[in-house]
Amino acid sequence: MTEALIVIVIIAILTALGFGLIGLVKGGKVGSDRMFKSLATRVSLSVILFLFVMFAGYMGWIEPNNVMMDASVVQK
Amino acid sequence: MSKEQAYYVPDGTYWPIIGSIGVATLFVGFANQMHGVEWGGSVMALGFAITVFMMFGWFGQVVNESTSGIYNSQVDLSFRWGMSWFIFSEVMFFAAFFGALFYARQLSVPWLGGADNNLYTPELWNGFSATWQQVAFSTPGTTLQSGVAISVPTQLVDTWGLPALNTLLLLLSGVTLTFAHHALRAGHRNQIVGWLVATIALGSAFLGFQVMEYGHAYADGLKMTSGIYGSTFYMLTGFHGFHVTVGVIMLTVILYRVQKGHFTADNHFGFEGVAWYWHFVDVVWLGLFIFVYWL
Repeated sequence: MTEALIVIVIIAILTALGFGLIGLVKGGKVGSDRMFKSLATRVSLSVILFLFVMFAGYMGWIEPNNVMMDASVVQK
Repeated sequence: MSKEQAYYVPDGTYWPIIGSIGVATLFVGFANQMHGVEWGGSVMALGFAITVFMMFGWFGQVVNESTSGIYNSQVDLSFRWGMSWFIFSEVMFFAAFFGALFYARQLSVPWLGGADNNLYTPELWNGFSATWQQVAFSTPGTTLQSGVAISVPTQLVDTWGLPALNTLLLLLSGVTLTFAHHALRAGHRNQIVGWLVATIALGSAFLGFQVMEYGHAYADGLKMTSGIYGSTFYMLTGFHGFHVTVGVIMLTVILYRVQKGHFTADNHFGFEGVAWYWHFVDVVWLGLFIFVYWL
């Protein structure tokens, strides 16, 4: 559930970035406005997502990938 | 910007041929360096120097043409399309690497462990465990048939430490860049300079900590030779770090151009292109942080 929520927010961030790109290609006043608003949205969403991931990790809702485990543990 | 409707066609230029010579020299040097040829390194350095010289010369010429006011709206649009194709290639570049991560994690490693194909493969590798967290490991001292020794990590990497701090730094740089963007659109040049300097400082701090993180990981035995985990980890974070480096250089150029008064509140494509690139690099890191360290 938590993981699905995180992925949904990532998709929203990518969408905002995509709208920013459309504004960049369009240019002019309209494009510039759209680009700025989209990028501001993507920054806000990213900060919120980061804080949420840290909070979810702290609460134990998601577990970090501890990839570098002690080799002796693995061999047991 | 020029009001001229005829399409602007620049004079003939020698920069493309200099660029070709630079890049060719770079790769001839690189290929020979890989084969241990004595002069490989110096030829590579020469090729790199020629390429940098070409970039300074060519981009400088374009900037001069732009500030002299000979470009019209058609040229502006062609720059925007050029940027969008560059971005498309960047998106595909990182999509391929994230694709490699997902393929290894979700498909090929479970298959090696016997998932889906009903093939039990415990003897494939002595001590092999088909879970993503453990694929970096094998029996210490194992040597592949090719003769390459496998490096075995011995320490935990702390997700809460440097990776989280670096994510925070890069996200903050996105925030400061947004403030710089806002200041530019509102025409406050001093504020743009301040926020841009902050963005460059945060980006540089990220790179410094990334070097530290590599130092820790390497000292603890996580190397390119640490199986599929080690190679995808260094491929993704390494290319991302390279992109941050390029982004910091581009932001520094933009800072210089802001101080030179090249941009106005409603005509600043150079800034917009670099800003979007930085946001993109920021999002790639957020994806890396979440998918490599968390999910």
